[in-house]
Amino acid sequence: MKAVKEGQRLESERVNKGTKANGIQTEGRSAVTEKMMVCVSGSPFSRELIRTTRQMADHLKMKWAALYVDTPKRVPKTMGDRMEISRNLRIAEDLGAETFTVSGTRISDEIISFARKHNVRHIVIGKPKYSRIIEWVRPSVVDQVIRKGENITFHVIPGRREIRTNAINYIFPKHSVEWTPYLILSGIIIALTLLLRLLGPANDLVNVALLFLMPVLFGASRWGMGPGFYASLMSILSFDFFFVPPVQSFTVADLRYILSFAVFLIVAMITASLSSKLKNQLKEARENEKITLTLYTLGREMTVVDELQSTMNRIVLQISDKIGFQAAIYLPDKNNELEVAACSTTADWAQLKAGGAIAKWVYLHGEMAGRGTQTLSESPGLFIPLRTEDFIHGVMVIYYGGFHFPDSLEHKRLIEAIAGLVATAIARIKLQEEAKKAQLAAESEKLRAILLDSISHELRTPLSAIIGSVTALSDHDEVFGPEDRRELLATIRQGAVRMNRLITNLLGMVRLESGMLHLNRQWCDLEDIIGVSMKQIEDSIEKRELCVEINDSFPPIKVDELLFEQMLANILSNAVKYSADKSRIVISACQKGDNIEINIKDQGIGVPLNELDHIFDKFYRLKTNAHVPGTGLGLAIAKGIIKAHGGSISAKQNLDKGITVSISLPMKD
Amino acid sequence: MANSGARLLIIDDEAQIRKLLSVALRAYHFEIFEASNGADGIRQASTIRPDLIVLDLGLPDESGIDVLRTIREWSQIPVIILTVKEREEDKILALESGADDYVTKPFGMGELIARIRVALRHTAKSEEKPVLDFGRLVIDLSRRMVWVDTKLVKFTPTEYELLRLLAANAGRVMTHRQLLKQVWGGHPLNSDSNYLRVYIGHIRKKIEENPTLPKMILTEPGIGYRFME
Repeated sequence: MKAVKEGQRLESERVNKGTKANGIQTEGRSAVTEKMMVCVSGSPFSRELIRTTRQMADHLKMKWAALYVDTPKRVPKTMGDRMEISRNLRIAEDLGAETFTVSGTRISDEIISFARKHNVRHIVIGKPKYSRIIEWVRPSVVDQVIRKGENITFHVIPGRREIRTNAINYIFPKHSVEWTPYLILSGIIIALTLLLRLLGPANDLVNVALLFLMPVLFGASRWGMGPGFYASLMSILSFDFFFVPPVQSFTVADLRYILSFAVFLIVAMITASLSSKLKNQLKEARENEKITLTLYTLGREMTVVDELQSTMNRIVLQISDKIGFQAAIYLPDKNNELEVAACSTTADWAQLKAGGAIAKWVYLHGEMAGRGTQTLSESPGLFIPLRTEDFIHGVMVIYYGGFHFPDSLEHKRLIEAIAGLVATAIARIKLQEEAKKAQLAAESEKLRAILLDSISHELRTPLSAIIGSVTALSDHDEVFGPEDRRELLATIRQGAVRMNRLITNLLGMVRLESGMLHLNRQWCDLEDIIGVSMKQIEDSIEKRELCVEINDSFPPIKVDELLFEQMLANILSNAVKYSADKSRIVISACQKGDNIEINIKDQGIGVPLNELDHIFDKFYRLKTNAHVPGTGLGLAIAKGIIKAHGGSISAKQNLDKGITVSISLPMKD
Repeated sequence: MANSGARLLIIDDEAQIRKLLSVALRAYHFEIFEASNGADGIRQASTIRPDLIVLDLGLPDESGIDVLRTIREWSQIPVIILTVKEREEDKILALESGADDYVTKPFGMGELIARIRVALRHTAKSEEKPVLDFGRLVIDLSRRMVWVDTKLVKFTPTEYELLRLLAANAGRVMTHRQLLKQVWGGHPLNSDSNYLRVYIGHIRKKIEENPTLPKMILTEPGIGYRFME
C-alpha cells in the first residue's frame, strides 16, 4: 500500500511540475553554463518533448541537449524504431540541441550521471501512462530518476494514451509461443513423478518438494518466465496430487503447501529473469565481439591507406566478405555527380544504376534510405550516407536483394559503424592527398630557389666567357695575333656549347617533371643507340677509350630512342667528365631474367659510399667536385627517363677505382 | 665553286638568325633573299624562284609546315627546315611533307652549308650514274654489285635495295617511313621499323669498320638514317 501511495504522490508532483514550467525562470540559476536536457526515446511523443524543451530553453536562455539511453533491456524491435530514435535526435539537432547517445544497463543511472557530467540542471522527461499495477511492480524510469536526481529540476510531461501501447512494446518485447519447452517440461515432471512414486522416498515430503523444484529451475533458466511458471504449476499440482496427503486428491490438508507453491513461483520468476538477463548480456557480448572483430579487421584494412580507388575496392570486398551481402560505394566525381567508386564483384550493374537516384537523394539529404528505413523501404538496398562531422563524402549501399533483411539493432549498429569507418578512411585519404599537394608545392618552391641559383651561375659563367671574348675581338681586333684569335673563338664556342647543354638539360627536366612526357616507344637496336650517344659526346672523349661489349644476339629493346640516347649520353658524359684522359670506359649490356641490364663502368675519381644514392638526385653535386662545372641535372634526367620506361638505375663503387652505373629495364612484350 | 650564284630564300622571323645566315652564306657566294613571315616567304618563293629555301618551322603567322605544303603545291624547290631538338614529330612531318632535310637549332654553319650543297646537288643531278663510288664502298648499279675495300660483298636483295636507296640519296636524311615505303612498298606500319633496324644492322656489319660507331650509315635518332659520303 505504501508503494501505491508514493505512486500517487509522484503523479501529483508530475502534474505540478508540468504546469509550473514557466515558474522556473524565477529560480534564477546562472544561465550561461547550465544546461537543459531532454530525454528522448523512439516514440513520436518524444518530438513533443523536444519542442517543449526548446521553447523552455529559449525562454531561459539556456543551452540544451537531447539524450538517448541505449540499454539491452529496451531493445527497439525493428530498424524502423531505430530510425525513429535517430530521427528524433536529428530533429533535436536541427532545433539547436547537442545530441548524445549513451548506453548502460539502467536508464535512470545513465541519465543522472550524464546530467552531472554535463552540468545539466533541468531535465525534461516524458512519463508514459502505465496502469497502476505496472507502476507498483516496477517503478517507472521517471520515478527512479527523480529519486536520484538531487539539485536537478525535473519537468515531467505526461504521455498520452495511444502512446502507451507503443511504450509497453519497448519494455516487453513480444515472443511468439514455442511449444517444445512445455512438452519437454511436462515430460520431465511426469518422469520425475513416476520415478519418485516407484522408488523414491515418497514420504519424505521436504526432499520431494525440493526435487520438484528442479524442473522449475531448469525451465525458468533455460526458456524464461513462461515455461518457468508452467513448470511451477505442474510441479505443484503433481506434488500435491501424488505426494501430499491425502494422496491422489488436490485437497490439501496442510495450508503450508500453499506457501510452497508461492516459493515455486517466486523461484521460477527470479531464475527466469536472472537467466534471461544473463542470456541477453551473453548474446550482446557475442554480438559485440563479432562487431568488434569485423570493425577491427576493417579498420586495419583501412589503415593501409594508399590510393582512394584501391582502398575503396578493398573495403567493399571486406564488407561483403564480413556481412555476407553485396556492397557498393558511390563517390562524387569532379562535377559533384555521384558515381559508383567500388562494388562487390558479384554486384549487378543494372541494380547499381537504378540505385544511383536513391544514392543521390541520400547524398543530398544526409539521411539513410532504402531497406529497413522509412524512405523507399521497398528498395533492395540500404543506403547510408558516409559522413564525417558535417561533411558527406559519399554513399554506401548494402544490397539485401531477395534475402531476409536482418532487422536487428546489432546489424544496424554494425552497418553504421562500418559507414563511419569508411567515411573516416575517405576523409583521411583526402587529407593525405591535400597534404601531399601542399608538400609538393613546398618542394617545388624549394626547387625553384635552387634552380634559380644554379641556373644563374651556370648560365652566367659561359656567357661571361662569350661576352668577354667577343668584346675583346670586336673592340681590340688589332692587338690579337692569329693564335690568340683562334683561342678566343674556341672559348666562345665552348661557352655556347655549354649553355646549349644546360638548356637542353633544363628543358628535359621540365618535360620529365611536368608529366607532359609521353614515350614514343619503338623497337630499337641498343648498339645503335649507344653509338649515337657516343657520337653526341665525341668532343669531350679526347683520348679516353670507350669499349662497347654487346653480344650479337642481343634482342631489340622497345624504348623511346631519343630519350634513351639522351640518358646514355648523360651517363657517359658524366663518366668522361670525372675520369682522367686515356682511361677506359666500358659499356656492356646483358639479359638478366626478364630484365635487360646495361652497365657503364668508368675508372674515374669515384663517389664516396654515403653519397652513391644521392648522385641521381636533382641538383646534387659531390662536395669534392665543387670546382667542376655542372648543374647536377644530368643523372637526375637519366633517372627520370629510365623511370618513365619502368626501369631503374643505380650506382656502385668498383673494386679498383671509379663507379659502375647500372640500368635495369624490364623487357616488354 | 659549283653552287656559287645559287639563289637562297631564308624564311625566319628572327632578325638575328636572318642576319647571321645572310652574312655567312654570302661569304660562300650564295645570293640571299629574306622573308620574315610565311606569307611573304610564299610570295617571294613564287616571284624570285629561288634555288633553295631555308625555312624556320616556328613562324609567327602560319606554321612552317603549312608554308612548306603551299610551296610544294606548285614547286619542287629544295627546302631545308630549321627547327629545335625537342620537336621530332615536326621534323618527321616536314620531311614527309616534302622537305629535303633539316638542321637542328643551334647549328654549326658547316653543317648547314653541307646540307644546302647536298640538296642543291640532288636537284641538279639529272641522270643516275651507273656506278656510285664512295672510296671504300663502290656500288655498281647496273650489275647490282657492291665492293667494300675492293672486295666483292654479297647482299640479299632487300639489303642491296636499302643500301642503294640510301647511297642514291647520299648526304640526305631518309625517314623510316620513306625507306620502308620505297623498299617494301605498300603502307608501312610503325612496327615495321623493326625490320628496317635489323637490315640496317646487317648492312653495317658488312660495310662499316666498327658497326658500333658507324661512319657511313648514321642513325638520326627517332627520324631515320643518313648515308654519309
